[in-house]
Parts: sequence; structure tokens; C-alpha cells
Amino acid sequence: MFAPIGSTEATMTIYLDGRAIPARAGETIAACLLRAGVGHFRTTPVSGARRLPYCMIGHCFDCLIEIDGVGSRQACLSEVEDGMRLHTQDGPAAIAGMEFQ
Amino acid sequence: MSSAIELASAGCRVIVLDMQPLPGGQIFRSLEANMQARPRTDALLSALGPAYRAGLALIERFRAAPGIDFRPGTTVWDLRADGTVGWLRGNAAGYLRAPHVVLASGAMERPTPFPGWTLPGVMTAGAVQTLMKAGRLKPEGRIVLAGTGPLIFLLADQLRRLGVKPALIARTDRLGDKLAALKRVRPAGIPALAKGVGWLARLRLAGIPMRTGISGLQALGGEHLESVRLLAGGKNMDIPCDLLVVHDGIVPSTDLAHAAGLALEWKRDDASWRPRTARDGRARMAPCPSFTTGPCRIRITGDARRIGGADAAAAHGRHAARAILADLGRIARKQGGPDRTEAEVRRTLAARPFLDAAFPPGLAARLPDDATIVCRCEEITAGSLRVAIRNGAADMNLIRGLLRCGMGPCQGRSCATTLARLLAEAEPGRPMPPSPFRARPPLRPLPLGALAGMTGLDPALAQVESLDDKPEEIAGDDVHA
Repeated sequence: MFAPIGSTEATMTIYLDGRAIPARAGETIAACLLRAGVGHFRTTPVSGARRLPYCMIGHCFDCLIEIDGVGSRQACLSEVEDGMRLHTQDGPAAIAGMEFQ
Repeated sequence: MSSAIELASAGCRVIVLDMQPLPGGQIFRSLEANMQARPRTDALLSALGPAYRAGLALIERFRAAPGIDFRPGTTVWDLRADGTVGWLRGNAAGYLRAPHVVLASGAMERPTPFPGWTLPGVMTAGAVQTLMKAGRLKPEGRIVLAGTGPLIFLLADQLRRLGVKPALIARTDRLGDKLAALKRVRPAGIPALAKGVGWLARLRLAGIPMRTGISGLQALGGEHLESVRLLAGGKNMDIPCDLLVVHDGIVPSTDLAHAAGLALEWKRDDASWRPRTARDGRARMAPCPSFTTGPCRIRITGDARRIGGADAAAAHGRHAARAILADLGRIARKQGGPDRTEAEVRRTLAARPFLDAAFPPGLAARLPDDATIVCRCEEITAGSLRVAIRNGAADMNLIRGLLRCGMGPCQGRSCATTLARLLAEAEPGRPMPPSPFRARPPLRPLPLGALAGMTGLDPALAQVESLDDKPEEIAGDDVHA
């Protein structure tokens, strides 16, 4: 859906569900994952529907994703960091050490 | 930025809290970084055009002004009329309080519920622009732009310069809107008008298909957008599509103003709320129990006050700063007619009456049908909201409690206006709800670790002593005055 304008200048690597994705310093996680062609960042807690970013400026909260073990973070507001570990969020955010039904 | 420069130049100490990593807001988003990355970003800068690069002068003045304490990457999650501001930066949170607060939180795109608007592959025009400016990305594949407003043309023209050709530009506005709007053109608005005509001419020349007066937009697909259906010229059109870009104009971001207990007003012709402010931006308190006493210390400026675009925002920011300087006794209050900054505000808003009439809300003009999702977070349909309203739920907060509409992570930013209009639909003549859902801090997610380690002006502020967990008015000095 999105292609880089010019060269990407990726000097970092982030990981989504274990998959390595090249990242450019200063870009948001959302931009990085969209360039990589990621099909959805999360599924909704209600129906399990897939979602991708909608507004990209922090209003819609559809870009929620798990960043370094913390769920429901806004990918459109968070910058990439080298070695960052992301997980597609299925339904509500998981809380470390807690199990829901 | 212009407010901060004006205040700092007069010797005030100014703290600027900005959610973005770099100054420039959404219009001049990532401009500094894109200029520094030249020549790699030449193609991008050339596509974004001179109006984007023009922001550099303002950013450079902002960076150079002594006395500005710029705090990027900072989220504001609480605001009170007494000038208290709750902030979050990384995993640190705290409170500040200032004798004057300028709220410049900008605008958001008008929420436009239509069938399929939650599908991956549907995005707003602003989102695509952000991906261009900050992500250095361009859309590819089969693209449809749908909706109305100058941003549709600007984006299409920027895409054209990048060699991206949308399959269709589907506009809800009609030629009749333009003709009716012509009588609102003022001389100072003519340059903006000429710009629009130029965009249109270039898009026509590039052979990009365009339809006006479209309606009944639907995004269709299983797990991702596959096609777009719409009604144009009385006929159904089905267009295979990878990316549907929607835009229906922008509306003020009212979340912070509303949470601070400031009065909002419903603008009927624009179907949106905006804060009630004086000409210099001074906000008014809503007539309801307040968590603070004393005069309101908040001024609202830019698109958060009234939609006007970048030039109008900068002009009003300066005007609001001059009013603060007059309050502080640093400059003489202008007697009689408008001062220089007020005249500038008027000049920069001159094109608005024409634009508002030429591009009325389109995608959101009609309320959605029963099957359409209104609340994106909790996936509440218009139909279930209508049932609750028919069964007697006549209040926004009650409906939130009953159905969870507006209770998800976005806190009603996407659904509040639609629900307010559904309430009005059920009982025509009833006044519009005076405000969106009741808002309580934190207005944005606050990590528990940040809350636990919160610093502030008063340690007691971090303690929850009762269910009314808002701090009471705090007697004593303004630490940050």
C-alpha cells in the first residue's frame, strides 16, 4: 500500500512477531510497518476485526500494538528504536503475569 | 510556535509541550528533519511544495528564541482552567501550572462513519500526508480519494508530483456549492481561490478521473479493503481498490478544552463543536460545577479554536500572545480599533467563508444507516444506538454507560459528534448536547509506572483521596509563574 519516496536509509532493525524489519531513525513504528506491508497491527477486542492505522495523528487509536511487552501503545506516535520488539495485538492488551478468560 | 516566539521575545519564560518529536505541528510535520536530510529528500520536498517549506522560517525563529523551553514528545493528559497541565514524557509524568496557558492542540479530520470505514486500507487524507511528511512514504496500488475539501486537491496534486495517479477522485461537493459560495469571496481570499483553481487545472491536465456530487460511499472487503462502491450521477460505481483515502474537512480538536471544563458550542452548519472564546482566544468556563475556582487562565488558538489553516493559526497565536502580554502589563492595551495582529487574523481568515460554503460536509452530511459502525473502538452500530435512544436514553453519558459507545481507547473522539446528531435526529428541535461525553483525566493513556512515579507541583496532587480524584484548587503560589 505504501512505498518509500527515495531510499529508505534504514540503519536500524525492529522485530514484529519475530520478523526483522529495517527501520529508519526518526520514523514512527506505524510508518515503518506500513512500508513493510504489514496487513494489520491489531484485532479488535469486540469482534476480532483487523485494524490498520486510520488517522496517523493519535486520535483514532486504531494503530495500537504491543511494544516491548507493553500492550495498547500508539504506533503512530512512537518512534522506532533499534532492536525494538513488537507483537501484533490480538484483542485487548495482555498484561504480563495475568491471564484473562 | 508563533505565540511562544512572541511571548519569549517580550522576555517571558515559555514552556512548550508538543506531542511530536519536532516542532511544526501537522502542517510542517518533520520539516526540519526533511530539510536536514537533503538531497535525499529533494523529491519529497518538491512534491510537498513551497507552502510546506515556508514553515522553516517560523521553526528557525522558534528554535532561536531565547526563553523557550521546548519539550518534544510530551503528551498532555490533563488540563484545568486554573492553568494546571498534566504531562507525560516517556515514562515520566507530572504537573505544571502557569499563570497563562495557550492551548494550540489543532484539529482533527471530521469523523465520517460509512459502511466499511474501519477496514484496513481505509485511511484519512491527513494520515496519508503524515506518512509522506514524517514517513517519507507514498501510496501505491489502486487508490481512490473520496470526500471534500481543499486537502483532497492538495493531496492529489502532491501525489501527482510523485507520479502517483489515483484511480478516481470522488467528490461529495457539487458545482452548485461553488457558485453559491462565490458571493462569499472577499478580496483577501482570492489568492487561496486561485491556488485551488490551479490544483484543479493540473489534476485535469494529468487526466485523473474526477466525479462530483457522489454519495453512498461504501468500503467493501473481507480482511482488507477490496473495492469501493459509490453513487455518482445516479449510477452505482464499483471500483477495485487497495487504498481508500477519505476526507470530509477538519474540525477543532476539543478534547483538552472540554476536559478543562471550558464551554463548547455546537456549530450547526459544520456539525461540530468548537470552544467558546473571545477574539483574543480567552476561553469561557462551561456553566457547570468546576473543579477549579478563579479566573480561567486558558486561551485557545489556531485550529483548536477555529478552523483557518496554518497562516491563520500563526496569526492568531501572535494575537493571543499580545493579549497575554497586555494582561501582564508588558505592553499597552490597544484602545479603540483592532491592533496589527488582529488585522492579520482577519486577513488570514478571509478565504474561510468561501471555503466553508464551497466544501460543505459531504461524507458525514447524512447520518449513517443502522448497520454502520459509529464507535470504531467498541464497534457500536448506528442501529444499536438508535434502539437505545428510542428506549429512552436521551443523554450521551447514559448511552456511553449502557453501550460502551465512546468508552474505548479513543475516548469518544471518533463517535461523539455522530452520537450527538443521532440524539438530535430522534427528537428534532431539542437543543444539541452542549458537549461531548464527560471527560476525565487521564485524557490519553498514562502508564501505571509513570503515574506511580509522578512528580508535580504538589505531591498531594498524585494522591487519590476520594472518588473525586481531581485535585482541589491549590492555594499558594504559582511555582512556574
